[in-house]
Amino acid sequence: MKPRLMILAAALTFFAVPVLAKPVIGQPAPDFSVTDAAGKTQALSAYKGKTVVLEWNNPECPFVRKHYGADNMQKQQAEAAAQGVVWLTVNSGAKGKQGHLDPAAATAYVAQQQSKEAAYLIDTDGKVGHAYDAKTTPHMYVIDKDGTLRYMGGIDSIASTEVDDIPKATQYVRQALTELAAGKPVSVATSEPYGCSVKYGS
Amino acid sequence: MKAFVGSGGRGYGLITGTELTSAMMRMPSSQATAARRQTRHLACVVALLCLAPTAAFAQSLQTDHVRAQLISEHLALVPGQSMQVGLLLQHEPHWHTYWMNPGDSGLPTTIEWNPPRGFKAQDIEWPLPKRFDVGGLYNFGYDDEVLLPVTLAVPADAQPGTRAHIRANAKWLVCREECIPEKASLVLDLPIDVAPAKPDPRWTKQFANARLAQPQATAWKGAARLDGDRVVITLRGPGLPPADGLDAFVTQKKLFDNKPPNIRKDGDALIVDAGKSEYFGTSPATIDLVVTAPAPAGIRGWHVQVPFTDASAPAQ
Repeated sequence: MKPRLMILAAALTFFAVPVLAKPVIGQPAPDFSVTDAAGKTQALSAYKGKTVVLEWNNPECPFVRKHYGADNMQKQQAEAAAQGVVWLTVNSGAKGKQGHLDPAAATAYVAQQQSKEAAYLIDTDGKVGHAYDAKTTPHMYVIDKDGTLRYMGGIDSIASTEVDDIPKATQYVRQALTELAAGKPVSVATSEPYGCSVKYGS
Repeated sequence: MKAFVGSGGRGYGLITGTELTSAMMRMPSSQATAARRQTRHLACVVALLCLAPTAAFAQSLQTDHVRAQLISEHLALVPGQSMQVGLLLQHEPHWHTYWMNPGDSGLPTTIEWNPPRGFKAQDIEWPLPKRFDVGGLYNFGYDDEVLLPVTLAVPADAQPGTRAHIRANAKWLVCREECIPEKASLVLDLPIDVAPAKPDPRWTKQFANARLAQPQATAWKGAARLDGDRVVITLRGPGLPPADGLDAFVTQKKLFDNKPPNIRKDGDALIVDAGKSEYFGTSPATIDLVVTAPAPAGIRGWHVQVPFTDASAPAQ
């Protein structure tokens, strides 16, 4: 009985791990289903066959403003769109927290920023954010055509709020997309994300 | 908000081009923010002068949530000596700035010194950090009042009777839940004098506290190893504290997952069992560990370098 219990416990532990697991490079990216600013349901599984970028956003975070103010984020969104990559911007800010947007405000924000994402996802309850363990804004993920996570981390290599640092930094998402498009392995698959904390609800 | 003006009112002040970049604060609503597309806005802040009753004077800067100034432990700098100066940050309640490893988000404070020729400012001697829980994410840094001490080497040929005009550009990110990047050009102007230097009575407490808040060197021996998604550090040696109330931090990023580690005694050993960062790459040769304990006034702590035994590394 005892050994059997131990085996059972071991098996439970083993099977419990994937459920609780954080996103892992080279493993399937967590699927999600969430409403975007236009009211449309967006599911990762619907984009099988396409490369997907996830970008965590808080319009009022100085790190986000750095990259939008300098047009860095919009440029990369446009480049991605031109390559057939699906760019999804995610706002996991809880109601009442800094940077939370309702669908109308999100639509206005996208228009104002002239951003080029395929959709702006309203993740008010933080489900998508927690599934990806998104910590900062921005926090970036690249998922390949098979749904495998290929990059997670910062938008670039210099953790700062200074616009002047953008040209000096390695743009990790752009680099990953270029390498994936060329059929190469992603040379920098993780970097520590930098930015403001994602304003999850309690 | 009280203005910070030295008690003497004598002496002379100096305003340099003091600039504060206060990005995007107090936005009434997301809509208002969205209505403006910009990178940052500049807020000009009037620098308040600290007019010392003595010959030394320093400039202090009040931003929305922090008062910043350069201070010196002594009233004068002595040729050929290493003197203690530092950046004093006084935070508005609930706001904090960051340690060298800021945790899940944030940025460490930086000071770029521009002292006169021959003077050399060392790196910040980081005081022990506090842990801040920001909605389930963790930041490491300082609230209330903190002095970031720096050792300033004064050249042997500095001339007594002259003055040293030491400029520094300091940058910090100040956060409650929302964050504001700020920067300030600060100045510390001190006379050069012969030894012995007299302590500046205004800052005695701050420099004494800063010393107590330095991690103490230890004779502990330890080893770190990976255990699944945990980093487990075993410490042994004289003067290990009881496990209750301890916290632990690593100066390096991408090692721990930043959640509070499980710290326990195992016989005569102290075990620090921390979550492994999901950004953990290759194991470093050593882990720079800082262990903190609550103390009657603030926190006390220790520093230890622990070799890393990477169980997952391929056998050589």
